[in-house]
Amino acid sequence: MKREILKRKISAAVALCGLLALTASSMAAPQSLKPFERGTWREVLRAHAGRPTLIHFWGVTCGPCKIELPQLGKFMADHPEIDVVTVSADLVPNLTTATQAMLDKAGLAAAENFIFGDGFVERLRFEIDPSWQGDIPRTMLVTPDGAIETIEGSAEISDLGRWSAKQPRQQ
Amino acid sequence: MTRTSRLRSGLAGLAIAFLSPLTAQAQMAHQHGSEAACEGTELRCATKVTPFFAADGKLWLAWMAGGRVSVANSTDGGKTYSAPVPVTEQQLNLDWGPDARPKLVVDSKGTVAVAFSIFRDQAFNGQVLTTRSSDGGQSFAPVRPITASNESQRFEAMALDQDGTVFVAWLDKRNRVPAKAAGRSYEGAGLFFSSSRDGGATYAEATLAQDNTCECCRLGLAFAGPGRPVVVFRNIYEGSVRDHAVVTFSDLTTPGEVTRVSSDDWQIKACPHQGPSLTVAPTGTYHVTWFTGGKVRKGLFYAQSRDGGRTFSEPMALGQADRNPTRPYVLATQDVTTLVWKEFDGERTTVMAIQSKDDGATWSKPRAIASTDNASDHPLLVANGRQVFLSWMTKSDGYRLQAIGDES
Repeated sequence: MKREILKRKISAAVALCGLLALTASSMAAPQSLKPFERGTWREVLRAHAGRPTLIHFWGVTCGPCKIELPQLGKFMADHPEIDVVTVSADLVPNLTTATQAMLDKAGLAAAENFIFGDGFVERLRFEIDPSWQGDIPRTMLVTPDGAIETIEGSAEISDLGRWSAKQPRQQ
Repeated sequence: MTRTSRLRSGLAGLAIAFLSPLTAQAQMAHQHGSEAACEGTELRCATKVTPFFAADGKLWLAWMAGGRVSVANSTDGGKTYSAPVPVTEQQLNLDWGPDARPKLVVDSKGTVAVAFSIFRDQAFNGQVLTTRSSDGGQSFAPVRPITASNESQRFEAMALDQDGTVFVAWLDKRNRVPAKAAGRSYEGAGLFFSSSRDGGATYAEATLAQDNTCECCRLGLAFAGPGRPVVVFRNIYEGSVRDHAVVTFSDLTTPGEVTRVSSDDWQIKACPHQGPSLTVAPTGTYHVTWFTGGKVRKGLFYAQSRDGGRTFSEPMALGQADRNPTRPYVLATQDVTTLVWKEFDGERTTVMAIQSKDDGATWSKPRAIASTDNASDHPLLVANGRQVFLSWMTKSDGYRLQAIGDES
């Protein structure tokens, strides 16, 4: 019982920190882009464990990605219960400013946004999915218990909606 | 409402204020996580290197490094190189997509024709640029676009016809403009081609071979005979199925029928960033290798056509599925057909090779011929007469031109 309360207190504190972090990150919007490096994948999964999470891989030079990104921005606005993470998975050199500008325009500035930050992209991709050869867009849907469903190519937003409806409601 | 917009414009101001340190930070991040070993224009800093053996046995290289395309040659099979010559004086925003690379061919008179793509604007519209050297690679003419069209072009492929004509095929988005104006949707890009009869100084007007092909993969190009180029490409079939197709030209200006290499049924609205490879053997057999994620099959495959591209053999799978086989490349010489691809075990990238001495009917067992522990270019094959070489740029170990022995 005591433990339960403690947990709640911690979550409240975490939420407050989160709020502060959010304010800070929206003030310095372009700096929200974090490097995706060796080990980042594991950290992302750990950080979102227990929550339904949509992880979207895309790139600034990919035609279908440009069409899908704003749809995803709308999906995020409509589904606050889903954690949205984006990863710009173009080869390095990857363009930080262009990436951030496209995320902002698509309404995804408030998502947790990463950009490939390691020239050894094969190793980055291998950590995420050993069978992934770099095709983008690509969306991974992670349930609170860690089950991953991968959508190759542009996702149908209606499919994302159906998936999110199946996820347990968060408090 | 008003309050929100005011807040937004305030934030926009802040964003601008943060921009300059951000740019500096971004540049540092590039250096840290780069695919390149160094920032200069020299060969060891290259991310993409393309080889070409001229008829006189001289090896030519074109590479991308430090925002420029440079050319050098070697008369001792790659042991030493001439002083590299950048083809432009200024840095360019070179197309750094996974399947982009500079191309070069050298004719019997020693004229060097070069083509490569740049990103022309902030929206990543591409442009294919060409240049040539008529003084043995010591200097290059000012770069010129291959076509007057200002719509996006990328993924040029270049090959030399027997009579010295330079043939180029590329992917071109120009047809999306009339489609958009008519309110129609436009998928993919057109496969366009052109040729130059003056060693790459001027190119004929661009012509469409096939519209609505996949827009983000390299093309495979070879000659089936004098004046008869063959192009293999990722096509878009009904329902956005992105399977491979081949087109054989009856002459340099007349594309023939488009036929399907394989029905893999890869329905995907995405950029696979991984194009096919093609070689035509002296026997006339087409050898094609490609990557697919289709419903019918997934991974790397090889097939051959013994009837000029009309029908293809049952696809043969390549590589170990749990080692992410990728970037296949095929080359046929007089005696042997060689296939290479990359595999990755989580730490090291290995180039695997197989060979066939019966024109693709049977193949040797896969053998690891090279490996590296960091970023690497696609493995390529190049031949000087009967000797086949692996041409491979790696971040850790630099450029290597490695003779491939008898694999059987």
